Amino acid sequence: MAREPSRQDAPDDDPLVAAYLARRQSLVRFLAPRAGSLAAAEDLAQELFLKIAARDRGAEVGSPNALLYRMALNLMLDRARGEKRAAARDAAWRQVSRDSIGDEDITGEPPADEAAASAQRLRHLVAAVDTLAPQMGRAFRLHKLEGLSHAETARAMGLSVKAVEKHVSAALKVLTRRLAP
Amino acid sequence: MTDFLLKAEEARRTAAADWVVRLQADDLALDDALAFDAWLDANPRNIEAYDSALGVMQSIEGAAPAIAAQLVGRPVRRAPVSRGWLTAGGLAAAAAAVVAILPFAPAPVASQTYVTGKGEHRAVRLADGSLVELNGGSRLTVTLERHARRVSLPEGEAVFDVAADKSRPFLIAAGDRTVRVVGTRFDVRERSGALSVVVERGVVEVRPAEGAGGRAWRLHPGQRLDHMQGVPAAEVSAADPAQAFSWRTGRLIYRDQPLSEVVADLNAQFPGSIRLEDPALGAERVSGVLVLDDKAAVIRRLALLVPIRALPSGGEILLRRDTAAKP
Repeated sequence: MAREPSRQDAPDDDPLVAAYLARRQSLVRFLAPRAGSLAAAEDLAQELFLKIAARDRGAEVGSPNALLYRMALNLMLDRARGEKRAAARDAAWRQVSRDSIGDEDITGEPPADEAAASAQRLRHLVAAVDTLAPQMGRAFRLHKLEGLSHAETARAMGLSVKAVEKHVSAALKVLTRRLAP
Repeated sequence: MTDFLLKAEEARRTAAADWVVRLQADDLALDDALAFDAWLDANPRNIEAYDSALGVMQSIEGAAPAIAAQLVGRPVRRAPVSRGWLTAGGLAAAAAAVVAILPFAPAPVASQTYVTGKGEHRAVRLADGSLVELNGGSRLTVTLERHARRVSLPEGEAVFDVAADKSRPFLIAAGDRTVRVVGTRFDVRERSGALSVVVERGVVEVRPAEGAGGRAWRLHPGQRLDHMQGVPAAEVSAADPAQAFSWRTGRLIYRDQPLSEVVADLNAQFPGSIRLEDPALGAERVSGVLVLDDKAAVIRRLALLVPIRALPSGGEILLRRDTAAKP
């Protein structure tokens, strides 16, 4: 029965386990954008630990940090790619996740009786997205609301993938300024 | 704030948004990952800025169908080549959002309490279609509200087969934890402050109740969470659901479980109490199947699995470490 050790009982002879425990909060932040939610990112981080615990330590070279992120990246690309878009489509309304990560509490989806507060929040989100400047607004809506990948959005808009990334990022920056408490 | 600091904050916000988007890019590489890790470490304010941008991004992603539905009257100009399936996607999203935002039909609120005696099993079909099977020595209160189905299990064990209803989450209060579910089948057990949740199907969330410490966990099929009331931590491990559900078939199955848990189970099944003479004995691990027929026979079989002797003492049965049985 593999479980995640606390900091105290970590085997100190395994540099990768030590790196994992030291970097855990950063890993969750790393996994979160693709995982779709902090709870899903926590799950992936937990799964990463199980993989680390079960791995064959045979021929490990290089820094533990690089190996750690290599494993996190592989896990994320394997698991999150298909799931996230489906989750985003199926999700009813999810509250803004102003949560702490790691040892702190997290809140995932709120109970449905918060629907009224959510409706208010939804109006803010819609207004904020609706007033984005044309190019960044279009890139953001195609990618985030219609679920196109960066590459598909680039094709639809006749831009490079890098340019789409820049537009989506600029849109997010404007939205964060308007919406973050 | 000086101009210089304003510019630094501005650059930080730009970098934060860039990172959220970069981490979602199709060509994300290891170098990006290590650079991101270093950027987070460089300044605690980077973490703050990143969490803000991430929170906004995830709130928009979570509400994407609803936002898309509201923006339907104000469509983005789309490239003609992708038009057909984009529109279809938009319509599907709109339909999903309508279901999610109309939970206003009034429904009666009724509270009902179910109690089982020792050894008594009882199956209860709730008004929403969910099925609850109660193990012996359990008390369960159900309140079906308009926006939530609330259940409290102050003591005992139950298997929940929850009818799917996204607009009314199923919330179980057990000690200082809340178990939340949309539609699934799982076992919840709360005996003397020790909570365990085992999931057979679906996804179940266990989070601290209002005011309690610790973090939330999301459990998938085949996972088990153990938590002691008042302690912030919880432990998640792999579990065989068949084992947790076994009490329903007149057998108890254990795989490397502490004796204290077995004793708590038997006390729920049989009248009179069984007690460990030395509490340290409770840590002894038990693996095996106990058929629940006759109390004395069950204890005899238990003595084959762990080195104990049973001593009748007043109205109760005392379990003592049998030093002669095993080295």
